[in-house]
Amino acid sequence: MLGIDDPQIWIAYILCFLSAIGCIIYGAVKWNDGEEEEEAC
Amino acid sequence: MAVSTPVLGTIILVYMMVIFYLGWLGYKKTKVNEDYMVAGRQIHPYILAVSYGATFISTSAIVGFGGAAGALGMGLLWLAFMNILVGIFIAFVVFGKRTRRMGRRLGAVTFPELLGKRYHSRFIQGFSGALIGIFMPLYAGIVLIGGARFVEATLNINYDVAVLILTVIIAAYVITGGLIAVMYTDALQGSLMFIGMAFLLIFTYIELGGINAAHTALTSMSDMVPETLANGGHLGWTAMPSFGSPIWWNLVSTLVLGVGIGVLAQPQLAVRFMTVKNDKALNRAVLVGGPFILMMTGVAFTVGALSNVYFLENFGQISLVAASGNTDLIIPEFINSSMPDFFVVLFMLALLAAAMSTLSSQFHTMGTAIGHDLYREFLKKGELGQTINITKIAIALTILASVVLAYALPTSIIATATAIFFGLCAAAFLPMYTGALFWKRMTREGAIASLLVGTFSSLFWLGFIHAKEAVPLGISKALFGMDTLLTGTWTVVDPIIVATPLSFIAAIVVSLATKPTSSNHLEKCFEK
Repeated sequence: MLGIDDPQIWIAYILCFLSAIGCIIYGAVKWNDGEEEEEAC
Repeated sequence: MAVSTPVLGTIILVYMMVIFYLGWLGYKKTKVNEDYMVAGRQIHPYILAVSYGATFISTSAIVGFGGAAGALGMGLLWLAFMNILVGIFIAFVVFGKRTRRMGRRLGAVTFPELLGKRYHSRFIQGFSGALIGIFMPLYAGIVLIGGARFVEATLNINYDVAVLILTVIIAAYVITGGLIAVMYTDALQGSLMFIGMAFLLIFTYIELGGINAAHTALTSMSDMVPETLANGGHLGWTAMPSFGSPIWWNLVSTLVLGVGIGVLAQPQLAVRFMTVKNDKALNRAVLVGGPFILMMTGVAFTVGALSNVYFLENFGQISLVAASGNTDLIIPEFINSSMPDFFVVLFMLALLAAAMSTLSSQFHTMGTAIGHDLYREFLKKGELGQTINITKIAIALTILASVVLAYALPTSIIATATAIFFGLCAAAFLPMYTGALFWKRMTREGAIASLLVGTFSSLFWLGFIHAKEAVPLGISKALFGMDTLLTGTWTVVDPIIVATPLSFIAAIVVSLATKPTSSNHLEKCFEK
């Protein structure tokens, strides 16, 4: 896979991309969530 | 290097002018204490994300850990994955939201203060502040080394001068502009880093003939691992070290877990969650933060490992040899010899930015830890007194300590020293911080026990067991006549693996054995 024999490495390589994509999806889906509270301190 | 000094000088001058403008903007917007400490809790999500990322990722992550990947290989990608999953996603979504709310309700303006107010303990705040003031200079010192080494090599000026110039410039805008200046300049610096690293990735893969070709070439080099590394368990640059070997322990326990988890309890990062006004900003910041970190550590570790292919094809040697055995020099050597001139300038600027963005936050955190947490809240019991002057003096003194360390620390130290600091923070702060946010039953006594157990077991392990630090420190040798008190595998197990669980146990046991926190106070900390 990707020129790398050891699955422990190419899995990490792919997980890096997947986790970053996960962050993008999370941010996009929740783009307008959590506006509430302008509570007093 | 072929880039002329005047050209580079001009570019850096323009960069510095923009930095000073942003610093001045921070100074102008800073009116009350809360502005100086937590940027008035009004920071834009993009600025939060990039500032967090740029602070998190210093030159040490790029140069030091990239260099470590040059020596140890792509196994470090597990750290990149942890950086995104734990350092961004879990940090923002799980810890960030609660930190922001609790910080606002308790009116906390620093990380130690959040803990101190949650547990109703000035001791916790003061001790945490002192711990940061004492040990963060170690981390700041190595970030300075990374930045100054590059300035030295590229601008062709004396290393000592490079350290001083960097320090003075950063100190100027941190002291005057507070956290607003720090975060604005971070955002600019982070953007430069993103562009620099994107180019680095693309150029490296093009230079080596594409993704698959580059990886295949690196895989086929596995028989070139130097004997000392091979004996330690190194199986090649695209393979994990053999399970349980010293290199495996170093990679997994110190680098991947130590730094990967330690990030959650970093005071200079946690304080950033208190700079935004609602959860929306944190949600949006995740979108920017994930890809940002991928481009930082993901790229640095991949390129660091792949530099072996470049050095083999062009000079017939592996990276470690090309860098004369100092892993901290692998990335600078690689950039200088393989990249087009204009890129060297761009990357130089990106690295300078990376160093400055991390240092500025460290200086700010160290200064406020001593001035606000230790002096004002602990020693003066909340009275303002000389807080402002003490904070400024504290910034100056801790900077001085960092500079001294930058001269004194040995080579190949960047990745290790970062890991020490992250590990210490994890052991001392993580159980207490986690309990503060998620476990109402956790008591002040439990928190104090966990803080002390975490701190001292971590320091004990560093001084007496973990060979990498214990042997050069020599305290164990002087006191007990042996290099380390335990032998065998123990000497390669990182303190974080031992101290953090101990600290968690202390927190749980002592909390359950002591009287619960009053429900009035808990109501103040948590929602209704």
